[in-house]
Amino acid sequence: MSGKEFFVNRYRQLGWRYEPVELKRAIRINCMNAERTEIKERLESRGVQLQKIPFLEGGYWISESDFSVGAMTEYLLGFYSIQEAAAQIPVMLFSELKDKLVLDACAAPGGKTVQLADLMCNTGVIIALDIEKRRLAALSNHLERCLVRNTIVYHQDARLCRRLNLKFDRILLDMPCSGNFATDEEWFSRRTIENVENNAKLQREILIEAKKVLQEHGEIVYATCSLEPEEDELNIDWAITNLGLQTENIECYGEKGLTKVFGRKLDSSVENCRRIWPGKTQGFFVCKLKKQVNRK
Amino acid sequence: MRQINDFISKFNASVSLDRDLIVKKDGRYFLLDRKLKSLIRKHFLYAGTYLGKEENDTFFPSFNLLAMIAQTDANRIVVDKKSEWLFVCGRDVFKRGITRTSGPGRKGDYTLILNEHGNCLGFGRILRYLDTQDQSKIAVKNIVDIGDFLRRER
Repeated sequence: MSGKEFFVNRYRQLGWRYEPVELKRAIRINCMNAERTEIKERLESRGVQLQKIPFLEGGYWISESDFSVGAMTEYLLGFYSIQEAAAQIPVMLFSELKDKLVLDACAAPGGKTVQLADLMCNTGVIIALDIEKRRLAALSNHLERCLVRNTIVYHQDARLCRRLNLKFDRILLDMPCSGNFATDEEWFSRRTIENVENNAKLQREILIEAKKVLQEHGEIVYATCSLEPEEDELNIDWAITNLGLQTENIECYGEKGLTKVFGRKLDSSVENCRRIWPGKTQGFFVCKLKKQVNRK
Repeated sequence: MRQINDFISKFNASVSLDRDLIVKKDGRYFLLDRKLKSLIRKHFLYAGTYLGKEENDTFFPSFNLLAMIAQTDANRIVVDKKSEWLFVCGRDVFKRGITRTSGPGRKGDYTLILNEHGNCLGFGRILRYLDTQDQSKIAVKNIVDIGDFLRRER
């Protein structure tokens, strides 16, 4: 089961009508390295027109630019990162981050790791893991460029993070996922429902491990850039039932999580999640989880 | 550690680095803080502040280390906007692009290259005494510039 018609029909059943999107490039200013107003002025003086992204702190769309924003001095100095608007949301969902011990379980290429360090003002410690060694080089470069000082990187499978013998205050699960058509022109011809199910299984395995290394009152932010409910609401519903996790109410851009998926009724608290259909941003799904109060 | 200090001294500068907090992994040096040091495991790939790497007895500094050196009164040259762009593209610095200098400016000295905002763009070696009047000559040979972040990912 695959193909554009198959997936578009699924989206229709979930209440969204497919339409192609053209994504705007976005940046996020790293406040640990620079003043927002100064960087904005410097970029504007180089002919870059910025438009504030209304639902993000420090995020801007590039409305016009004479040069590539990925080659400017200010970028190379780590004053900003190029980060799609929806991808800036997950890290912002954590409560207080300063001085915390944070796990970024699937960290490469590091856009969200740098964002975490930025919100932590380089305090505390981030443990960043990734299973793909090749992508870890990009992560290391990203950390060096953005002058991140509070991170330790390991080449390690997120499903084995208990081997670090640490308990984390905050865990970011930016899950390996099927992605979505907004960022991949070939998406419909590349993906099958089997891919989606395999990814959903992997995500559940990572969730199981994350729960084991989460401090008692810690927070998990779960994020995918998949539109497929198997990787989103259905996994969260599964985590509520099987892992003793509960969703937390979050205030951010996006629609409430679906509580009825292809005729199946889910736990009502799944609506605390946010589903972002492609449009102003790429497709995304985010959710904040904690351990259930009455369960260990 | 000796190599790091030797490198820093080439800029007529000194940076106070706590030896106990520096770790070396596969020829690469990292500066930690106490918290990182207490949590780090042997199999790490990257940690804290990357200072640079040692290869065949030569030390290659990181941009983090150059930024630390730039916070001292190290040898420096401030360049104009056009020279900034050319330098970041890997080009040398012409005399006419220099707006300010600090340090002795002797031939053969190492110097940091800064833009007009005071941001360190890399470093180079002075090819001729900086008080030369000839504006069309290359004054500083580019050794490393931040454009390397783009080049290394190609």
